[in-house]
Formats: sequence, structure tokens, C-alpha cells
Amino acid sequence: MRFRSKLFGRSDPYDIAGTEELFVSAVRENCSYVYQHCPEYKTILDAEGFSPDRLRSAEDLAELPVLPTALFKRRRLLSMPRRRLPVVVTSSGTSGHASQIGFSFGDLWAGLKMVLRVCRKRRLLSLRPCHYVVFGYQPNRKNRTGASKTAFGVTLFTPALSRTYALRWKDGKYVLDLKAVQAAIVKHAKSRFPLRFMGFPAYAWFLMKQMDAQDLHVRLPKGSKLMLGGGWKQFYTEEVDKPVFYSLAKKVFGLDESDIIEFYGAVEHPILYCDCEQHHFHIPIYSRVLIRDAETLQPLPHGMPGLVNLISPMVRGTPLLSVMPDDLGVLHDNCPCGLNSPYLEILGRVGLQDVKTCAAGAAELLEQTEVSL
Amino acid sequence: MILANGMRYDSAMQDSILDSLSTRLNQTLEKPAPSADIVIAAIDKLGQQVAAGAFDEQIAGLQIDGAEKYKDLAIRLLRRDYLEFKVRTELGSDFSTDMVTNPPPGLAQLRVLTRPLGVLLHIAAGNADGLPAFSVAEGLVTGNVNLLKLPQADNGLSLAIIEALLEIEPSLAEYIYVFDTPSSDLAAIKRMADLSDGIVVWGGETAVAAVRRFAHPGTKLIEWGHRLSFAYLSGDVSHRELADLADHITTTRQLLCSSCQVVYLDTSDMDQVRSFCDRFFPVLEASAKQQQPKTMGAVAALTLRSRTDRLEALLDGGKAKRWQSPLCALIVKEDSALELSPMLGNVLVKPLPRERLLQVLREKKQYLQTAGLCCPPEEREALTQRLIRAGVTRVTTLRNMSASLPGEAHDGEYPLRRYLRTVNVELTTQTDDRLQ
Repeated sequence: MRFRSKLFGRSDPYDIAGTEELFVSAVRENCSYVYQHCPEYKTILDAEGFSPDRLRSAEDLAELPVLPTALFKRRRLLSMPRRRLPVVVTSSGTSGHASQIGFSFGDLWAGLKMVLRVCRKRRLLSLRPCHYVVFGYQPNRKNRTGASKTAFGVTLFTPALSRTYALRWKDGKYVLDLKAVQAAIVKHAKSRFPLRFMGFPAYAWFLMKQMDAQDLHVRLPKGSKLMLGGGWKQFYTEEVDKPVFYSLAKKVFGLDESDIIEFYGAVEHPILYCDCEQHHFHIPIYSRVLIRDAETLQPLPHGMPGLVNLISPMVRGTPLLSVMPDDLGVLHDNCPCGLNSPYLEILGRVGLQDVKTCAAGAAELLEQTEVSL
Repeated sequence: MILANGMRYDSAMQDSILDSLSTRLNQTLEKPAPSADIVIAAIDKLGQQVAAGAFDEQIAGLQIDGAEKYKDLAIRLLRRDYLEFKVRTELGSDFSTDMVTNPPPGLAQLRVLTRPLGVLLHIAAGNADGLPAFSVAEGLVTGNVNLLKLPQADNGLSLAIIEALLEIEPSLAEYIYVFDTPSSDLAAIKRMADLSDGIVVWGGETAVAAVRRFAHPGTKLIEWGHRLSFAYLSGDVSHRELADLADHITTTRQLLCSSCQVVYLDTSDMDQVRSFCDRFFPVLEASAKQQQPKTMGAVAALTLRSRTDRLEALLDGGKAKRWQSPLCALIVKEDSALELSPMLGNVLVKPLPRERLLQVLREKKQYLQTAGLCCPPEEREALTQRLIRAGVTRVTTLRNMSASLPGEAHDGEYPLRRYLRTVNVELTTQTDDRLQ
């Protein structure tokens, strides 16, 4: 894994132009490895007439067979025995079937280097201790979702003085306890150490609305940050305009827009997309994003909306080289923040919006269906 | 947004409006209820506005396939002749006339009056656009005061319709209150329920169960819950009938109470079930292609599913699943249970010999609605009676399973009857004299 190691060792996480050749080599290296070690992946590549040696230039990346993330929910696809996969993560379970993705030690090491580089660039790493409020799941041995692991992982960016969880493990299930979170915020607002929030944006939104309705406004210590990730799932109807969200954060927490940081990522594509000061998700050197035509899957030029194809050589434990989640997106160039890499805008989920039904039990079933037609 | 006495108020005013609601309702109830004629005339005018395009923008905003068809249906349902026919069918032609009983000689006579329940709380579901307004219209025709709790997903169409109606007939303003209270605000909904004589609830089991929990045991509950429907095929089925069934499945996308979830075949022979699928699948697929969704999100979902299916088939050794395409699928099962299918073009096919029909359907008696029946003409009546004894409330052809048939009951009942009460008044000398 010579090329991956070099790629993930680069110091500037957004130097796309300077790492083009290295990226292609790392993809080829990953592709060859997984082709040889994951029989299912070999079957797919053979059937589609693709050989790892074909990967010679950036243009060839589009030829890589794309695996929809839904396939990982139907099949367990691994390229290593379980004993060599210290971490097996399930997707966060909005669907009835959860996917299982395995990561090797090498994968995790590469991931750690990536997280440190991206977060240093965004000045999120600090030795100054913080209090943490996690809008997510309290870690629990029974919860293997990627979201809970990420949310906990982020609390390691600085030394943690305390951690308060919105979803607490109580009597064998998770309960949403915004009252406890609210009490912690009021307490930590008086602390001399900053407070950092991490987790689902929807919970942050609910909490801020609740505090605002009670006229409970605090000014958090300098250096406090609101870090959002994990998507708006389950709360699509409550989705709010970002400017409205930012102004409420200012009113309730006294946080500036620049103190709000959003992440994008997926278990099937564990690359950390951290927003820039313009709140855009720039593509780091560890991945490439192609937007493909919704019907033909042909690659589209920047600016055109379509299905999102995520390519990264980070993971060897599972064939995640070129995957496609249930998202629609568009790529943009020329962000005023100064980063040269293109940025990805997620437009929404695939499927029909607002399926309305009066068949008995149907609404409950549809809520669990990830790709609905 | 709240609508009270024809005026719009901010949602934040909810509690103060509820504080004064009891007094306001009592003032309204003091007066005689508006006659069905006045209400019908107003609704008829509203229908003319719909036909003239007054709501085209809102209807287009619904982003539903077949919006034109939807509009045509609305226009038909709002017409005076249709409404009068509905009232006549459900309540009889002289329901508004007080009558006197004519008992055997020697027994006392009695006055019989049909009157509104009083105040109806409509808890509307978001599963059909415009349904909340329709529910209120039924309450108005029967002379009730209507409190409407809008579904969360309402996009403003219901309120626009109601406001247009009040503009046509301002005297109805005190008979309609609209609240956008979220379902989580149980305290407010309970206050509305306590002010009501009847609660009309539309929705799934969760919604119905919630109402049963908070409603006073003496309040009349009118529950329009979710249902399951199926097709029953016996004997030879023509290509035309298969195409009708396919069109029904793909146009309703199996989302309605009346949508076919299971295709039953009158046999216990699985070979017959499979050969039916061989014949039916191409017909279903052809119909599904006609109905294919056009939005990018839907096309993308199809592309993803198609690719996932293809890769999975590769991993299964190249075998594509039988009777399955990205657009639709037939799922063969050997049991006979009536159950929800995965919907959206994925229909269950099961054996069910007629002798076992009642036994199987009784297992789901709480959910039975439409049976789309296809059989030789000489057997139709016998099979219909068998289905009725099993508990279904609608028997139709395959083509009309989800059609709105004029004069039909709703889940086994005429709704208007449920919004009325029958009052008896003993004849006294004075009233007796007055009557003569």
C-alpha cells in the first residue's frame, strides 16, 4: 500500500492538482488488491470487462465499475477475514437492512491521518480542553453505527473535560434527552473552557428552537464550536435554510457563523468532507467525486446535477473504491474561500418525495425503505 | 396559521383562541344549523371556480402525477347534482323533514328529528391532498360546526379551499375553525376534543389509537382507518383484464386503501400460480413503463435499483430473478395471508381456493376493503356473496378497484349518517296541536 500511504501522508489535504498521478496509482493499487482478495468484486469487474491495470490516468477513474451503497445492504462484501478487520461498522440504519463495512488497521491509520490533516486545516485541533455536547448516541457496545463512532471520535480533537449525550442509553434503548443537554449548556456557558457540539443538525435545530421558545439565550465561551454531521435524515420535513439556522445559533448560543462547521461523509465512503468558511464541501486529495447522469450513469460536467459517485482508495477491508449513495448532487468550482478543489453540493435523496398512502401499515413500511420508487 | 370566524390568525394565538372557543361555539349552536341547500350551493360555486382554474397553481404545486385527473375528479365531486345525489343516497330524500311515527293502534306517536351531532373535530391525515377540506365539507353538509386539525404535511391547499368557500358563503364562517396544531401538541388537541361531540379521525393505526387514548369515552368516534385490498381471479382471465389489473397496480402504485396488495388465484396448485406470473409479468412491466416516473429523483432511484439488481444477479451466478424488473415485480408466496405488499409495483401473488376464502380473510377482518373480482359471469354473484360474507366492503371489477363510484359508502358506512343524530320528541298536546 505504498501509494495510499504516500497519498494520505501528504501535508496539504486540498492539493488536488499536485496529487493527480499519486491518486490514480493509489486507486490502481487498491483495485488490484481488492480484485485479488474479494471474490465478489472480481466477479463484478470480470463481468463488466474491467481490469485494474486499465487505470492509468484520471480519465480512467470514470471507467471503474460503480457499486451502489444499497448493494452493501444486500450483501456482505469483504476482502479480508474478519479477524483482520478490527472495526466493522454498520450504516446508521434508516433502512430495514444495515450494511456492514469492515476496516483494517491500515484503513484506520490512513483515516486517522486524513482526519488530523483536514481538521488542522480547519483549525479544529487544539490542546485547550473543551466540554462536549454530542447530539447523537451515547457509545454503547450494542451500537455499532458509524454515526455514533464519528460523534465520539470528534470529542478526541481536544482534551475532553466532559461529554453530554442527547441520545442516552436507558433501560435497553436510546432516549432523546434534550433537557439534560440544555442543563449542561447553561452550566458550561459559565465555564472558562469552550464548549463544542457535535452531531445531527436536526437535534441542534430542535434544541435551539426549544431554548429560544423559553427565552433561554446564552453566550458560550470564546472558541466554542457547533460541529454538524450525520445529515438531516428523519427530519427532512423540518429541514431549514442554513442562514436561518446560523442566525438562531447566534441568538441562542452567541456563536458566529464561522464557529459552525459541517461535515459530510458516509460509512460506505469514510472520507471526511469538512466545510470551508463558505460552508462548501471541498473534495480533499483522498477522494474524487463524479456526478453521473441519473438515467445513463454517464459522467457529467461540473454544474450539472446527477447521482453522486464517490471514489477513494482509502479502504482495503471492503470494496469501497467507487461507490454511489442514494444522494443527488452537483459539483461546483471557484469557491471564494481560496481552495482550488471543486466542492460538492448535496441536493437531496433519490426517490419520490412525499409518498402518500392509506394502505394499512404502508406509511410505517415506507419510512424504513431507503430507496423508494 | 389558524382560521377562526373567517379570519386568519398566527399560530401563536392558538391558546387564546381555544380559551374563547367554548363561548363562541355555544353562540353558534344556539342558532339553527345551516341548511344542506345553502352549503351545497356554496360548494357547487366552489367547484365552478376549480373548473375555471382558480386553484391550478396550488394543484400544480402538489407535484403529483395525473394532477389533471385529480382536478377533474374534484370538479365532479363538487357539483350540485352529485352532492344532492350523495345526500339523497346516504340520508334519504327527506332527512331534513321532521316526521311523526305511525305505530300500531294504541301506541303513542313520537316526533323524529334528524339533527347534526353538534361540533365535529376533524383530525385529518396528510395522505390525500385536499382531504381535510373534503372532510369539513361532509361535516358542513350535515350542519355541524367543524374544528379542523390540519395534517403536518398540508401544503396550504386545504386552507385555500376553505377560504374560497367562505368568500362564497360568509354565513358559514362560524361553522369552520382550522388549526395547524402539530400532532405533538396533545394538550391543545385534547382541548379541541373536549369541545366536540364527535371526532372524525383519518389515518393509520397510530393516529386512531392516539385519539382513542385521549378522547372522552362518551365522545363519538368516527374512524376512517387504513385498509387493505386485493384482487381475486378465478377461471380464465383475458389479456384485457390482466391489462386492467396491471394499470390499476401501476397507476395507484399500490398506495391506496383500495389498491391491490395481493393477487389471489382460485387454486391451490402452485404451478398454476407460476404460470399465471409468466403471463402477467410482461403485461405488468409494459404498464409500469407507461407510468414510469419522470422526475430526476425517481429516475435516479430506478437507475440505482436497476444497477444494484444487476450486480446482485451477477453475484448469484448471473441468474436474474424471475418476474422482477427495476420497475415492478411479482412476488410469489405459497401461503394465502392477506398482507401489505412492498407496494410501488411490487405485488404479491398467492393461491387461495374459494373454499378457504372466508377463513383466510377473517384473519384480517379489521382491514378488509376492496375485492377486485374477475371470474366467469355465471359465478360472479356467488363469489361476490362469498366475499361479502368474509367481510369485504367493496366488490368491483379489476379496472375500477380504486375508482370513485358515485353513491358508494366509505369502508362499509355512509359517512353523512354518522355525522347526524336522531332525536325523539314526545308529542305533547301543544306540539300535537301545532302539527295538526
